[in-house]
Amino acid sequence: MWARVVECMIGIWLLMSPFIFRHDPDATAIWINDFATGTIIIVVSLFSFWRPLKLIHWGLLAVGVWLVGFGRLSASPPLPGGYQNDILVGLIIVMMAVIPSEASQPPDTWRLNEP
Amino acid sequence: MSDATSDKLKSSSDRPAYDLDAPVAPYSYNPSAWSQRIPICVLAAVATVISVYMALYQWRIIGSVWDPVFGDGTENVLDSKVAQTMDRWIGVPDAAFGAFAYLGDAVLGLAGSPRRWQFRPWMVILFGIDVIPLGIVSSVLVVLQGTVVGYWCFLCLITAVISLILAYWAFDEVTASLKYLWRVWKISGDWKVLWKSFCGRATDAGRQAGIELVKEAG
Repeated sequence: MWARVVECMIGIWLLMSPFIFRHDPDATAIWINDFATGTIIIVVSLFSFWRPLKLIHWGLLAVGVWLVGFGRLSASPPLPGGYQNDILVGLIIVMMAVIPSEASQPPDTWRLNEP
Repeated sequence: MSDATSDKLKSSSDRPAYDLDAPVAPYSYNPSAWSQRIPICVLAAVATVISVYMALYQWRIIGSVWDPVFGDGTENVLDSKVAQTMDRWIGVPDAAFGAFAYLGDAVLGLAGSPRRWQFRPWMVILFGIDVIPLGIVSSVLVVLQGTVVGYWCFLCLITAVISLILAYWAFDEVTASLKYLWRVWKISGDWKVLWKSFCGRATDAGRQAGIELVKEAG
């Protein structure tokens, strides 16, 4: 479950990001974006621990793509740090989202089909 | 039994479990073994750290870059017009993007069981795409950098060498996975079965292909 733990920590990082990167108080969009995506990432990664929803982490692919697009397109380069943060965090979320929860084990379908 | 029903099979106690560490043809060893993959992850992590270090300079979090061979060559490359154009394209410093690519090598190298060449071909191939074509292209670009930009960057050259070593090390595992998928195709002749096997689902053809390839490894 290490991928889910990393995702959860990245979610917490996003919740802290507005204060670390000192977002402009008038740039409401990025404040909302960072709090919303951070919360979604934490919730989704934790729900993946619940067996019936174990594949929900794939949904984070969409969140990652959103973060990259939001960071890249909301301002024109050179981007302020907060937007660059969104791009890089989005890329890492895309990468982590594809990692299976019990990554070091064979997938269920193979574990139930011994030779 | 048909592949449609095989997913619903339950494990039976009278049959032995898969040997996760079994060697696989065309090799006499298992290219998905931890001993094969951990060195790739460690080396990729080293390249990640080097790239982050260069990104820190492009962000001006640090004021200079270490370069024992070309003096201020590294700084000239990192501040070059080409680098600035790429930054505007991507939105982040190109070194930070490179760091992400190396981090991807390490993370995708780490995920999966020691039999992932059979159980998760999609992951081996995703890993292979990140390491082999992207690694070779980025190495070529680094060498071109010296001729186009006119300066050489010592740390860039180190990461380019690391990329080529990683591509060489990853080659056997990707070959084993492709050979497995090819065998599944020859056994089943069915695109659906091939796709399911690629996605890591258990299929009869996949099971047979795995048994054959382990046997052929000797």
